[in-house]
Amino acid sequence: MVKATATKAIEPAKEFFTEAGEMMILTGRTVMSAVKPPYPYGNEFIGQFLFALQLCWFPMLVSCVAFGFGAPGLQAANFLSLFGALDRLGGFFVLASIREFAPFVTAVVVAGVAGTAITADLGARKIREELDALQVLGVDPIKNLVVPRFLALMLITGMLDIYALLFGIAGGIGAELLYAQPLGGFFATLFSNASTTELAASVLKCTLFGAIIAIVCCYKGMTATGGAAGVGRAVNEAVVTALLGVFIFNYLFTQTMLATNPDLQTIK
Amino acid sequence: MSDTEETQDDKDGAMEAPINSPEVEAAVEENVEPEIVEEVEAADEADAADSVDAAVVNEPAPSGEFVATDGAVLGRDFVLPGVAPGDNDPYKWHTGRKREHGSTDAIEIVDVVKQFGRTRILNGLNLGLPDDQISMVLGPSGTGKSVLIKHIVGLLYPDQGDVIVKGQSVPDLSDDDLFEMRKKFGLLFQDGALFGSMNIYDNVAFPLRQHTDKGEDEIESIVTRRLREVGLGESHYKMPNELSGGMRKRAGFARALVLDPEIVMFDEPDSGLDPVRTALLCELIKEVHAESGGCYMVISHDLGTARRIADFIAVLWKGRIVESGPKDELFESDNEFVHQFLQADVHGPLAMD
Ligand SMILES: Nc1ncnc2c1ncn2[C@@H]1O[C@H](COP(=O)(O)OP(=O)(O)OP(=O)(O)O)[C@@H](O)[C@H]1O
Ligand SMILES: [Mg+2]
Repeated sequence: MVKATATKAIEPAKEFFTEAGEMMILTGRTVMSAVKPPYPYGNEFIGQFLFALQLCWFPMLVSCVAFGFGAPGLQAANFLSLFGALDRLGGFFVLASIREFAPFVTAVVVAGVAGTAITADLGARKIREELDALQVLGVDPIKNLVVPRFLALMLITGMLDIYALLFGIAGGIGAELLYAQPLGGFFATLFSNASTTELAASVLKCTLFGAIIAIVCCYKGMTATGGAAGVGRAVNEAVVTALLGVFIFNYLFTQTMLATNPDLQTIK
Repeated sequence: MSDTEETQDDKDGAMEAPINSPEVEAAVEENVEPEIVEEVEAADEADAADSVDAAVVNEPAPSGEFVATDGAVLGRDFVLPGVAPGDNDPYKWHTGRKREHGSTDAIEIVDVVKQFGRTRILNGLNLGLPDDQISMVLGPSGTGKSVLIKHIVGLLYPDQGDVIVKGQSVPDLSDDDLFEMRKKFGLLFQDGALFGSMNIYDNVAFPLRQHTDKGEDEIESIVTRRLREVGLGESHYKMPNELSGGMRKRAGFARALVLDPEIVMFDEPDSGLDPVRTALLCELIKEVHAESGGCYMVISHDLGTARRIADFIAVLWKGRIVESGPKDELFESDNEFVHQFLQADVHGPLAMD
């Protein structure tokens, strides 16, 4: 009885660590498989990339403009207008948009739109035993399915980060205009605070978000069990786990970046 | 028993837990055991993760251990599907007798144990499948026949024991060797497992494009012939989701044979087919086998199919072979279980539970 209760309590934790471990292994195998010849995944890569782009561009545009305009734009402008320092909004956008919001919005949209599509697709294939059939026919699912998705999502999140930056800043400009401010000050503080390190870190971080999302979503899809309902469950778990992973990684990354580049902390 | 929906149900049941296995569900319908019914309903509501616990239903009584005739004592820490509490020798019918079949074994399964969670599906399975013959593995639903196939092709690894195919131990192969080895296999999955993103023609052509250097012309002639053989000559450009269950089965059948493999395994090729098509498919299996030879293994519930095509029969139950041997000898076996199963008799050791 006691043993049964203990097992019940430990089981979920054990499952969590097992899953985390298996995802690490999958990451390792994916990276190995991506570098080791042959490279049969070119077409699938292009297909997945275009597919993700097609799915993501519009939701990204809406989210970025709305988010940039609403959250850092209007809210911060409201706050800054107290001090009559609306020209500082540009500088704030470096902190807000480049460092956090652009990668954040990108991760949420990519996980929610492209990641779920990947899990649903792979999950359905798993349930129909297509993945088993592929293996029996001598096709390695990691090399042919996971690697192209992994690379495509990394590329797309990296690119969409820039896209999110531009549209986020467009939202900020909108806010600035709403407060009837000249844009000169906005751009002046934007460019005085922005640095290539900041931009590069943002793109790198976002690319790694893509890697996390791809691994989690592929893993959840390839391990789906329990028929059609199981695929639904896998999709759900994939989004939650991917975003959790992204946020934890985001914290670690930003802390490390600021600790190693203290000058980024100085507001100019 | 043999239409597509049935297969689908089986599949979904199999995914969840042993408690939801078709036999138990059948028992529920008949309301044989009220207590179990309650448990089953509770288990149905529970999430799949919990259903392992629900399997405790057929856990043996605390005092009793399973003691098999061969002296194996099976602990209480796992559940064996189809074994009732207090059943002291679940293996009383399992003589494990292997009658002479006059050929070498292409596939040998040696003491294989496979457990999913706390449920042991294969429990010290020993089986040899003769080369150049059509073998048939029969057994009640949910005894692990599909699991057995997955062990042979290296999709699942045994917890204990060994699987030897053409003298090579499958679990010990490196990934590259395993991929190489799999070229020898033709496999029809229980649900066809066609690639949903490709039409029927591309599905059947896939192994040829993957494993051979044949040109498109040659591929076309092979694929067209194979598809005509299974009666899908008109459906080249249909997608798998536009086909009926039986048509998917036949397309999967064509795909399994397209490379002329040395070892062919069909998981219920005849489920979802009408009687005439089943008979024609049996003829086709025999024809192809006569033409190219090799080790064929067919899983089926259909005794007619067994009579028509089998050279060798093995009966699997409770994770072990009850008996195996040439068809005629097995149909005449005096083993009570084998007799019941092959005569489809309601009286005997096998019941719904
Ligand atoms: N990957 C898995 N994880 C957990 N349990 C599994 C798994 N695969 C199979 N099982 C369990 O193993 C048992 C045997 O399954 P299997 O599909 O081999 O049965 P079968 O003999 O092919 O039955 P049928 O004749 O109905 O097809 C089932 O109870 C199923 O729940
Ligand atoms: Mg089966």
